Amino acid sequence: MTLPHEGPQEAPIVPPPPGTIADLFQEALPDIEFTATQGAVDVILIVAREDVPGVLRTAKDDPRLDLKYLRCLLGVDHMDGGLEVVYQLYSFTHKHGVTIKTRLPLDDPRVASAASIWKGADWLERETAEMFGITFEGHPNPVPLLLPDDMTDHHPLRKDNPFAQMEEWQGLRLGAEASKAGHIPAGYESIAGEGGEEDGG
Amino acid sequence: MLTDQERELETLDIHVNVGPQHPATHGVFRMVLTVSGEKVVDVVPHIGYMHRGAEKLSEGMDYRQALIYQDRTEYLAQFNAELCYCLAVEKLAGLEVPERAEYIRVILTELNRITSHYMFVGAFATDIGVYGTAFTYAFREREYIQEIFDAVSGDRMMYGYFRPGGVVWDVTDDFKDRVRWVCGQTRVGIDDIDRLLTKNEIFLTRCLDIGVISKEDAIDYGLSGPMLRACGLPFDLRRAEPYSIYDRFQFDIPTGTRGDVYDRYLVRMEEMRQSVRIVEQALEEMPDGPIMPEKAPRRLRLPPGEVYMRTENPRGEYGIYLVSKGGEKPYRLKIRSSCLSNLTALKQMVVGHYVADAVVILGSVDIVLGEVDR
Repeated sequence: MTLPHEGPQEAPIVPPPPGTIADLFQEALPDIEFTATQGAVDVILIVAREDVPGVLRTAKDDPRLDLKYLRCLLGVDHMDGGLEVVYQLYSFTHKHGVTIKTRLPLDDPRVASAASIWKGADWLERETAEMFGITFEGHPNPVPLLLPDDMTDHHPLRKDNPFAQMEEWQGLRLGAEASKAGHIPAGYESIAGEGGEEDGG
Repeated sequence: MLTDQERELETLDIHVNVGPQHPATHGVFRMVLTVSGEKVVDVVPHIGYMHRGAEKLSEGMDYRQALIYQDRTEYLAQFNAELCYCLAVEKLAGLEVPERAEYIRVILTELNRITSHYMFVGAFATDIGVYGTAFTYAFREREYIQEIFDAVSGDRMMYGYFRPGGVVWDVTDDFKDRVRWVCGQTRVGIDDIDRLLTKNEIFLTRCLDIGVISKEDAIDYGLSGPMLRACGLPFDLRRAEPYSIYDRFQFDIPTGTRGDVYDRYLVRMEEMRQSVRIVEQALEEMPDGPIMPEKAPRRLRLPPGEVYMRTENPRGEYGIYLVSKGGEKPYRLKIRSSCLSNLTALKQMVVGHYVADAVVILGSVDIVLGEVDR
């Protein structure tokens, strides 16, 4: 296995084998285009954001899919690739699950809210909204969940939101630039204090 | 116009603030109850007092370092959280875990489930008004297991013992004997608490038909774990989507029928007994051998990809959504908190009950604020 050593890499699209949940989606939604890829555990469906409400509604209501359980809803910041919203669904009757993903452009991060489909989406969307600056249209109560109400100027989980110097340093100490005891990376002298590292890293 | 008599009877809804510093909120949780007389007509939960940005901080760490945030997130079931994280990393890295490490992990994870449920029983009984006795019983029993964790990992709370690929070092020589003894002791301990609480008249009156939630609502809200099983749905990830080596063990999945506070208590009590069963089976089969893969890389680099790994933790489905774009650090690490999802149904459960019941219902959710806020 060769691994890339520089720069972020996207996972390749691997079409899932026939007979997975992707075929059921194709049956239930013949008019909607989506890309299916086999993830490490679940099948991942990538849909356009205009199709999200229709796909989610069908996923829950269609008896062939019956994905009544919203396990998880989250955002991912792909920097130049835009923001991503991920829905993790499961069906208790058919015992199958699926990941649905959609990309939103950075300059217009809007997507329809799923709070009217699953009650549990309410808080999860509030969290994703505050952390990434995504607008969930039609959300019944779009206020911050974990962050203070007045903290609207930056979104912590975006990649352009920087780490504190201390947090960067912690990542460097034992990480890729692991160094010998007493070594302080350039630029971090002020927080290292007198005498450098005492515990020897 | 109201007559004088009517004006006298006119009532006003008042707001009662509970928390963030309040013994009944199990941490820094705040809820604003709107009450009409003694009845709750609305509840607004406020969370985030303990938000430390564990997900963001993990992005700045390499895969080995990021593990420690799992302990700090889910600080009552640390081994369970560590296991979920390790499984997610192993899934993407394609690491094979040695047999012995798998068994060690399962034993510790199930013991951790017992300590977590002991914590629940003690705190829950205190919420109800069984002040002291149940709590001391539960904590005495919990301490026996805690001592094993201490001996194995070197820490009482932030274990950091699991590693992607296995565990950091082998267990102590007397591990098997101690765990075997603690299994017997735990059966006695559970029976003690059982005799104290389960058929207690006052306990029953406080618990029965309080905070009922239907199976359909429970699914819609995304409840999981004992909260979901108390509604009558026998869904346990250890059985439904077996991870690690859980497909090798015999155990039952307890369910409730009413979906009330009492059922949640009963489900957790029975789960402790089932955990003891699993631990005993695992002890019998535990082989000797290595605890880390032979070719475990010292510095882990993951190929690009993403995975949603989920495990059955004491409080429900704990999930790690891990996105890798190559390199040594997670590109994105989302923690799916079982408590957060369980808490979303609080309003549905509390409205219509008395103020005193609101505390009991919150106790039955068994929240860990570290996991809710992350």
